[in-house]
Amino acid sequence: MGSDLGSQTTYRAAPAQSGRAPPGAPAYLGSALLLLAIWQVAVLLSAGSARRFLIPTPGEVLGRLGELVASGAIAHHAGVTLLEMGLGLAVGTIVALVLGYAVAHSRLLAALFEPIIAVSQAIPIVALAPLLTVWFGSGTTSKVVVCALIVFFPILVNVTTGLRTIDPPLRDLFKLLSAGRGQTLLHLEIPAALPSIVAGLKVGGTLAGMGAVVGEFVASTEGLGYLVKQGQNLYDLPMMFAAIFCLMAIASAVYGGFALVERAVLRGQA
Amino acid sequence: MSVKKTVQVIVAVGALLAVVAGCTSQPMGMEAISLPMGYVANVQFSPWYVAKERGYLADAGFDVTFDYRYETDGIQLVASGEIPFTVSSLEQVIQARAKGLPVKGIALWYQRFPVGVISLATTPLAAPGDLAGLTVGIPETFGASYIGLLALLDAGGLTEDDIDLQAIGYTQLASLTSGTVDAVVVYANNAPAVLDTEGIAYNGVWVSDYASLVSVGLVSSDAYIDEHPEEAQRFVDAFLHGLSDVMADPDAAFEISHEYIEGLEAVAPLQRAVLERSMALWATPTPGRMTTEAWQRAQDVMVAAGMVETAVPVAELYTNAFVASGD
Repeated sequence: MGSDLGSQTTYRAAPAQSGRAPPGAPAYLGSALLLLAIWQVAVLLSAGSARRFLIPTPGEVLGRLGELVASGAIAHHAGVTLLEMGLGLAVGTIVALVLGYAVAHSRLLAALFEPIIAVSQAIPIVALAPLLTVWFGSGTTSKVVVCALIVFFPILVNVTTGLRTIDPPLRDLFKLLSAGRGQTLLHLEIPAALPSIVAGLKVGGTLAGMGAVVGEFVASTEGLGYLVKQGQNLYDLPMMFAAIFCLMAIASAVYGGFALVERAVLRGQA
Repeated sequence: MSVKKTVQVIVAVGALLAVVAGCTSQPMGMEAISLPMGYVANVQFSPWYVAKERGYLADAGFDVTFDYRYETDGIQLVASGEIPFTVSSLEQVIQARAKGLPVKGIALWYQRFPVGVISLATTPLAAPGDLAGLTVGIPETFGASYIGLLALLDAGGLTEDDIDLQAIGYTQLASLTSGTVDAVVVYANNAPAVLDTEGIAYNGVWVSDYASLVSVGLVSSDAYIDEHPEEAQRFVDAFLHGLSDVMADPDAAFEISHEYIEGLEAVAPLQRAVLERSMALWATPTPGRMTTEAWQRAQDVMVAAGMVETAVPVAELYTNAFVASGD
């Protein structure tokens, strides 16, 4: 005997705390202009001294960025990095969801896996990346693995936290209604844990960029991380900075995108 | 204790600490500098370890701290006036100078370009032309490894399009022995020594057999050379003295290197072989001297590869003013 929980019983979160409104576009623009102003002042102070070889001007960086955009280089390399980030985030998220569900529901699995997972985070991924290149090749796969390893832990923590902090009375209610495991998952656990999962994706998404860059730094001929490295080693600081700014823009966009999803989720549960 | 007495005690302790610090600071007339080495601590740097241990650098007026950072960082720090010297593969000077960084080679260390390509014995590789069609692993697509590979391809009448070039980071031997690639770009004094130690047969082609390119040396800035020529001379002399000592007595040099390389004893036979191979790359009757031809050849390779947009007058790239004429 199952229970028709489809439309009758579904977890709904308490209304989100409104708190302070997030900064809007004018605030971000103001921050960017302030940063540019500080940068330009720093360059002006070093102009004429030998220190000018350590930092390019904002104009040089913007000019180089324009050249790279016009040549299609930015589109190509950004596309490579985004692919690595996307695949790495997908793989890391899937593994985190499955493992997080298992760990949240089983004390035995929690006891077995949580120490291993915690210790694994102490391994510096920069040291591991060359080995991953040998095991998985110097192509996209090794970068995806690096990304997945980096994003996995914060998402896993949020999945298990989201599942474990579901109100016990709600779980009791679903048991009372003879809800099956699938129904509980669909109508209680997923809706209840979703805000936490999306919060984990916000963090994981930005870390995915770091993972892609680490992989590209070790062994690559494509990607924004590769451009940063090439710029550094070819004394093309404007290109290095241009690639860094692109990475920052991607990370901001990913974070902002998941933030919008998070707000939509919370709004939908209100 | 009253406030006044407390302050007096603090001032007295502070004065005492200042005196102690003064006593332990560098001797009068010594300039404390860091020297970027461009690689990790290794027996290949034994001339520097000997020069420091035997006081040649101190006699030259320098209290040197070895800094194992990337060579490109060293070039930028020299160009910006932060440090006076750096050890670097000298083709970096060409690249840097082309970007406006005022740096210059002041002494040559490696007489033979140390880069080559090796394959396992099962993959024929006897001449540069044999690279055609091979999957070649390279640490990076810049620097001495890349320039060396381009020179080899050119010597074989090939271009990069004739090989499948893969950037594999510093995993050359692992990638080669696991079959991920057919051949790898390596340094002649390092990888072959490892393979010999492991008893793994290999083939190899070496850049120095086909092209004379400027190699590893000492770099300074135009400003420092102009303003401190005597200091630059003393520093070059100290280095060449250390180099000469290593060539004359490698056993002593290897022993001194233990003080500077953690874990050297555990891999002593291998690293001793690395030192012997390195010495073969350093040997010359004219230590430190550079040639226009070697600089020109290196720049030609870099211009052809698009690594340098506009060639730099070779005379601006180096000076032999601090090395003996060899006549």
